[in-house]
Order: sequence, then structure tokens, then C-alpha cells
Amino acid sequence: MDETLHQLALGFLHLLAPANAASLVVGLVVGMLVAVLPGLTLVMGVVLALPFTYGMGVTSSIILLTAMYLSGTYGGAFTSILFRIPGEPLDVPLLWDGYPMARQGRPAQALGWTLIAALWGGLITCVCAVALAVPFARFALRFDSPEYFAVVLLGLSGVVALGGASMTKALVSLCIGLLLATVGVDDTYGVDRFTFQVPILKDGIEYLTVMVGAYGLGEVLTRLAQGFASPSIEPGRKVETRLPRWREIWPLRPTITRSSLIGILCGIVPGAGATVGSFVAYGIEAQYGKRRADLGTGIPEGIVAPQVASTATVGGHMVPLLALGIPGSGATAVILGAFLLHGVQPGPQIFQTEAAMVYTIFASMFAAVLGMCLLGYFAIKPLIRVLQLPEAVTSAFVALFCFVGAYSARNSLTDLWMIVIFGVVGYLFERFRFPIAPMVLGAILGPIAETSFMTSMIAYQNDWTIFFTRPISGTVMVLTALALAYPMLRYVRQAMRAPREIVKSA
Amino acid sequence: MIGKVKALAPYAALLAAAAYLYHDAGAFASAARPGQLGPDFWPRAVLVLLMIVCVCEIVRRVVFARAAQDAADAAPGAHSGERDVEADASERFPWRLGAGIAITIGYVLVLDWLGFFVATALYLALFMIVGRYRRRRVIAITSVAGSLAFVFVFMKIVYVSLPLGAGPFRTFSTWILAMLGIR
Repeated sequence: MDETLHQLALGFLHLLAPANAASLVVGLVVGMLVAVLPGLTLVMGVVLALPFTYGMGVTSSIILLTAMYLSGTYGGAFTSILFRIPGEPLDVPLLWDGYPMARQGRPAQALGWTLIAALWGGLITCVCAVALAVPFARFALRFDSPEYFAVVLLGLSGVVALGGASMTKALVSLCIGLLLATVGVDDTYGVDRFTFQVPILKDGIEYLTVMVGAYGLGEVLTRLAQGFASPSIEPGRKVETRLPRWREIWPLRPTITRSSLIGILCGIVPGAGATVGSFVAYGIEAQYGKRRADLGTGIPEGIVAPQVASTATVGGHMVPLLALGIPGSGATAVILGAFLLHGVQPGPQIFQTEAAMVYTIFASMFAAVLGMCLLGYFAIKPLIRVLQLPEAVTSAFVALFCFVGAYSARNSLTDLWMIVIFGVVGYLFERFRFPIAPMVLGAILGPIAETSFMTSMIAYQNDWTIFFTRPISGTVMVLTALALAYPMLRYVRQAMRAPREIVKSA
Repeated sequence: MIGKVKALAPYAALLAAAAYLYHDAGAFASAARPGQLGPDFWPRAVLVLLMIVCVCEIVRRVVFARAAQDAADAAPGAHSGERDVEADASERFPWRLGAGIAITIGYVLVLDWLGFFVATALYLALFMIVGRYRRRRVIAITSVAGSLAFVFVFMKIVYVSLPLGAGPFRTFSTWILAMLGIR
């Protein structure tokens, strides 16, 4: 513990380096802007920032992206509460109590509750990330290829189980991502796979182009098809924050504790995340909260629960990312991409080989939480003006960022064609309501899954039971089966019940 | 009926593509060493999963949707026909989408010839017009200034070598770079 605190203190000192401090400030401001704009999602914002990190050091890059991620979970609260425009899906539960409170003439109080919730959720998640990451990494040092395969499988199944409304669509999306990862020269045998004699496919499909195309350009095309019809802000709405008093906060202890736990758990479990955490926390509050009957009328519990949970997911996500190298969400997938682009492979060894970097990132997370709250308190007024920009103009620049971002990675026009292809694929996914996250995570985790599977098969003479007979991998495989079985059973039950309910309701 | 076909189409297309790729994967199975799984094993496993999912979804949509439809038809005052839940009702501008995709493809096509500055300024302007933005002066200023800003940030600060174009466009791009102090 002493060693951890010592490293963290050093991390704070490293954070004072101009490049790191500047990355933190820029990340906070840009993350806030991205969260405020309804046309830009948090993941898309992090993706678009990625090319700017090519010329930066790895620590500054991760600080920039993590700060964006953290402040992105808070910035959208302003537009949800004041203008009824959720900047992110995770801000939707804030509409149910935040906006009514603002309509009752208490917008400053509503924003004050949001700030307190983001501050608490952020600080508790940072403490958990620091406390859990090292034990997690030590445990992961015992992993061999079967354990890695089992953990990656759990991650992928979590994305499918929790990724969206339709499990079938999530599975289809995942399979497409896994297949994209197989294109190119095979690592084990050196054989061309699915290249169809096309030279550009020999290098494989960069997951970066899948990510930028599907999330970035795909979203732009979707909004273009809708005629860029985002709602505009009501002019003249006062933007200020009034912090609640201690005696007002104290009775909300159960809500804050519940929501913090939900947020951290949703962060650690791959596939869940800020949006799931936010909705689950509100749902739990509606079922078990002391004032559940008043929920939806503009009470602080309805604001605090989703905000605490959504911010608390960030640290939870950073634990498996740093300790295992497994991203659990779209944003952490981009952060993993930034690590890999700089030649750093997150995993258990990173705490020994790159301890200074890891603890500087942790320190930056603490600073980012405080910074985003200060920014929210003092500087949100000018940031919200960004909503007055015409969507056609911002979208044109977003599309351009996608192209330049992809081109910068390898200076190759081929990657631009990939962006166009995956932009159209991303649009089609949106059009037919297929989730994009499983495809992106499939493309990123696919090679790890295949390599660990093939290595296990070679090492254990094609004995597939090895995944179930080793204690750690066996336990993880059972968890994977449970993660998949529960939504499958629910899905089958719903499908069976649907016709009966139609007759009953008629 | 058209709604049902539309809803089934993505799964049918995926099933066909997966079957073709499964067949294609057989070509690299020969590289396998004796007693070991070949390079075709993993992609084929994924393709089998994809095909199973597609078949299950098609069966579910045909069998269960028919059961639901029968039940709904049996109910008094029921509407006839299945509502296509897949189709996005909010999509109102398909031709704008087509134009957006066309200019995006066009941008990638001409980028190497026109160079980054000219192609980007044109792309930004056309995209704003397609996106129903009508203030011409703002479009002109934003697209030129935006393109210049991208050239400056990426070539001067991030050190990315953006395409300069060919022939007279190359000369023009070089002049722009000289103006911005980029060597």
C-alpha cells in the first residue's frame, strides 16, 4: 500500500510536466465540448482526438484521452438539465429528474447536485482504480494462454450480453468484428486469409479504420440522412451552479453508496459502461430508494444516482484495461489503441515496466475529476455556446477529422477507402439498429482471442477441455456461460411470451 | 410483406456471405501441420457461429412473427400487415445521404490529384451545402480557413505528410505551405 501511495505521489509530480498538464487541460475542455454537442458521442470524440496523439508521448496521450473520457461523462448533464438535450445516451436519466427540477425554477440546484455527484463518483472511481489495479495485475501474472482466452471470451460475451437491446444483433456485430480481424496474413502459419488477391488486404484491416469509420463517419452519415435535425437551445436560459449544503447531501448516503458500487461494477464488467451504469442506478433507485415514489418529479436522488454511477464507471474500466489489456467499452478500446500505437502493451507487466506512466495516469484521473468540476462550475457558460454552431458545419469537420486521423496513422490512401467503407457499414448498422461496439471490440480483441486459443491448442495437444479444467480459466468460462445464458433465456422467454400477450391485450 | 422481406434481408445477405466465406476458408486449410488446427479453424468457427445466429433469427422472424401476426389477426379490431420495426422512420433525406456518400468517395478519389488543401476546402464546402447550410459567405470562409488550419496543425505541429497533389495543384499546395512557413 505504501509503495502504491509513493508511486501515486510521484505520479502527481510527473503530472506537473508541461506536456502532461497541457494534455489534461485540453482533454477536459474537449471532453466537455464533445459531451455538450448532441451530434458527437463521447467515443467519437475520443476517436477523433487519437490522431493528435501520434506526435505526443504515450503518457500525455493517455492523459488527454482519459481526461476527455472523464469529463465527457459530466459535460452532457448541462444540456440535459437546462435544455432537455442529452449530449450522450448516458445523460438520458438526467432528463427525468434534472429537467423537471430546472423547470421548477431550480436549475442552479440541479446543476449543483450534478457537480457533487460527478465529484464523488469521480473520486471514488479513482481510489478504486488505484486500489484494485495492482492486485488485479498480480493475479493476472498467473495467467497462461487458456486463461487469457477465457478472459477475452468473457469480455466479448459481456459486450454481447450487455451491449444492446437485441442479443442477435450484438452477436452478428461481434462475428463481423472477429472476421475483420482475420483478414490478412495469419500469424501462426503465414497464410493469406480472405485477401481475395487484393494487395491492400494483405496487411489486414486496421482496427483504427474500423473504429473511426464506423463510429465517426457512420454517425455523420446517419445524422445527414436525418437532415441534421438536432434540437437547438432556448436562448436566455440562465447557466449557473448552486452547490447543495452538507445537511442536504448527508441524507443521500444510501443513494450515493449504491450508485457508486453500481458504477464501479459496471466499469469492471466488460460491455457494461457509463450508459448501462447510469440507467441501472436510476432503476435501482426507482425500486429501492427511500423516495422512489417521488422519482421523476425533480428530486436530487434522481440526479445523483445516474451521475454518480456514470462517472464511477471510468475507473472501473481502467482496471481491466491496464491490468489485463482488455478494454470493456468503446472509449477504453480507443485508449488501448493509443497505447498500442505508442508501442506499449497494457497487461500485468506494465505495473513493473512502466509504473511511472501508470501512476501518472492515475494521478491525472484525480486531477481530471477536480478539473472537470471546476470547469463545470466556472466555465460551462462559454462552452455551451458551441450548441449554436450549425450541425452541418460541425459534421463536415468531424468527417474530415476521421479522414485525417486515419491517414495520419500510416500515410496511406488505402486507409481512407477503409474509412469510407466502414463509414457506410457504420451507417447501415445504425440504420438497422445493430450495435457498433461489439464489432469494434471484436476487431480489437479478435487477434488476442485467436492467438491465445491457437497457442493453447498447440501447447495442450488440441485438448479443448483445458479451458474448463484449469481453475482460473474454468471459473472464467463458467462466468462466460452465465453471462451468455441469462440474456439468452430472457430473450427466449420474451419471444415465447410475445404472441400470448398480444392475444391477452386484445 | 415488403416490411418482412426488408427485415429478413440483412440476415439472409449475411448468411449467404458467411456461407461463401466458409467455402473460401477451405482454400487455406491445406497449410495446416499434421496434428494441429489449421489457419482456417478460427475463421470457420466464427463463420459457423454467424450462420447459426442468422438462421435462428430468420426462423424466429418467420415462425414467431407469424404466430404473433396470427394472434394479432385473431384479435378483434387488429390491424392487418406487419409494421416494419427495423426501418428508421426518422430517415427523411435519402438523397442527401447519397450525395454525402458520393462527395465523400469523390474526396478520396481526387485527394491525390488536387492535393489536401484544395480537395479539403471543396469537400467541406460541398458537405455543408448537402447538409442544408445556406450561408454562402460562412461556407466559403469556414471551408478555406478550416482547410488551412488542418494543413497547419497536421503538417507543422503533428508532422503528418499530407498529399500535395499533382501538376499545377502541387505548385499551388507548395505555395500554400510556404505561406504557412512549412518546409
